[in-house]
Amino acid sequence: MKLSNTMAYDNFADMMFGTAKTPVETRRGLSIGGGYVIPEIKPHPRPGSEKNLKTLLREYERANGDALERCVIVGHPTLVVENEHIFQMTNNPQWGAEIAAQTARQLDEYLEKYGLRTAYRATIADLRKPDMVDMRDSDYTQQVLASFEACAPYADIISIESTGGKEITDHCVIRNDITGMLFGQAVLGGRDMEWLWMQIVDIARRHHCIAGGDTDCAQANTAMFLAGGFTSKDVPHTFAALVRAIAAGRSLVAYECGATGPGKDCGYENPIIKAITGVPISTEGKTSACAHSALIGNAIGAVCDLWSNEAVEYHEMFGATTPAVFTEILGYDAAAMNAAVALGYQKEFQACLVASDRYRDPQSFILCPDNAWIIGKAIVDNNASMYSRGKAAALQAGALLLGDPNLQLTAFEKESLVGYIKELEGLPDTEADFIDLCVHKYSKIKGFKPASYGL
Amino acid sequence: MGRTATIASIFTRYDISAEVARQEARRVSADELLQQVADCVIKGDDEAIESIVKKVLATRSPLAVINEGLIPGMAEVSRLWDAGTYFLPQVILSSDAMNVGISVCEAQMGQAVQKKGKVVTHTAEGDIHDLGQVIVNILLNANGFEVINLGADVPVDDVVAACQKHQPIMVTGTALMTTTMTAFPKIAAKLRAHNLNIPFVCGGGAVSEEFVTSFDMGIWGKEASQAPEMAADALSGMSWEEMRAKWNG
Repeated sequence: MKLSNTMAYDNFADMMFGTAKTPVETRRGLSIGGGYVIPEIKPHPRPGSEKNLKTLLREYERANGDALERCVIVGHPTLVVENEHIFQMTNNPQWGAEIAAQTARQLDEYLEKYGLRTAYRATIADLRKPDMVDMRDSDYTQQVLASFEACAPYADIISIESTGGKEITDHCVIRNDITGMLFGQAVLGGRDMEWLWMQIVDIARRHHCIAGGDTDCAQANTAMFLAGGFTSKDVPHTFAALVRAIAAGRSLVAYECGATGPGKDCGYENPIIKAITGVPISTEGKTSACAHSALIGNAIGAVCDLWSNEAVEYHEMFGATTPAVFTEILGYDAAAMNAAVALGYQKEFQACLVASDRYRDPQSFILCPDNAWIIGKAIVDNNASMYSRGKAAALQAGALLLGDPNLQLTAFEKESLVGYIKELEGLPDTEADFIDLCVHKYSKIKGFKPASYGL
Repeated sequence: MGRTATIASIFTRYDISAEVARQEARRVSADELLQQVADCVIKGDDEAIESIVKKVLATRSPLAVINEGLIPGMAEVSRLWDAGTYFLPQVILSSDAMNVGISVCEAQMGQAVQKKGKVVTHTAEGDIHDLGQVIVNILLNANGFEVINLGADVPVDDVVAACQKHQPIMVTGTALMTTTMTAFPKIAAKLRAHNLNIPFVCGGGAVSEEFVTSFDMGIWGKEASQAPEMAADALSGMSWEEMRAKWNG
């Protein structure tokens, strides 16, 4: 696999929401990244509905159907419906397949009846817990791959949130260990993704569906959630920002294996990836507050192609059920962005999105389009290995954080950041030496098996 | 000035305006050697502590090292965390260091240190997101409880069997997904059927207070950091009803 060595965009200013260098077209003619932003709704089933296939089919029929119906009611022209598999859907591949087939029939009905252009993304659950299984040879591994095969005939887009390296990063994220994060994300996560995504891309091609993309949810979002808000004392936000920069080199592997986007919504590293690859991306911001809080509600939409809500459990609200309500909200957000494009005000609109979050937090700061592009450039300029580009991304992010006087940091955050940079600068030059160092250093972490990653 | 005013109208960094003056660690022992042990814990130095404890054990008893060095050091870490000076990673590293020190002392004593009580912990069947449980385990251990760690993706019957075997003062369940937390009421019902009325603290991800308090024995844990105090309540003899009244609602 060749590591990226060029930027898709010559300048960050060319990056805009709704437009990607390489748009993709779905089964029903939806062009993602083709000039307009599309809402992406993700309903989540209620507890108890997983009891059996019949109850789960009914739950998704209602949830996905409510979203489609709301588009017609308020006049939203496009929609992507994503179902992130719960454990039972991947552990029983036929369940996921039947739900995908059912949803495809619903999309066909709305296209035929109303001309509503939609697509379905099936996101397979990565059941492989690295410390409990051999990542490349376990029953759960087989179920994951079987689920891709089972869903690909019906889905427009297939994706996953892969977990390679998580046994290391779960240990390190609560110990302020940036070296371990780099090892788990870039070296282990990157290798696992290469092994996995070569197969996912092959499955997608055989079934004429789109190999979407991955996300470093398992690692970078864990750091982000632990970092929390301004009152949290769990993980420094500067730590989470560097981890996010490393995540970009890791999630990039999917596209280097042949995935075409759209990237997964919770991959907050996606603006960096879009700068490098030009693939369309999904992002989530303020409309994902139903699932989790974040400190980048608006700016993360600056270069999105799909605009998502992360996940909302199916329930009644005053306005309707949650999928209907959030589809309406997402669709109006997309309509505002698309109206800005239509009026020629997209630059101004984008500037407002960015300015509202730019200095809110270290994590939002590095994901603004200009900084995302600079981090992307550091990744492609240091592409000798997954390690070297991950380290370069983290160091570049650190330099950006220390280089803008408008970005405020607590004394502790700043002190921590300086420490991370010093630690990264002191790491070996080559990936081979880094791997030797880390395999020894982390050998006692429960369940760590270098062979799971071909090491 | 204009720019500053603009930023201020967009958001407020409460963490900066509320940042507390960082406190220095206090001395916890008049004995210089035991203070060195405590300092290793306070600094989270799990590499130096082994040799320092071995050195101190030449002139001090293992129980003195534990009770007058390691435990007071960890108590000082807790104080600094409560004061907002320490973040979670510093507490975790301190706990790691304390565990190394205790292991050295146990090796010298030829027996394990007496723990306050057992707590069975697990992450729900079908759920591999166990980081919250890992943090709970570390904090319970750091506070002197014996953790029976069942790990992630644990079948209902395994949790019940572990409770029958170990007779813990408390059991915990972690889940990220709403579609896996449904194992918790099944566990509670089976515990009750076996006449094991143990406080069952459940938390993590999308696990809500409403859900956990809908079944007998369930107590909602909002934060992993609450676990040691909850275990102390259970150890003191509080019933699950009393604990629920204290921590929930």
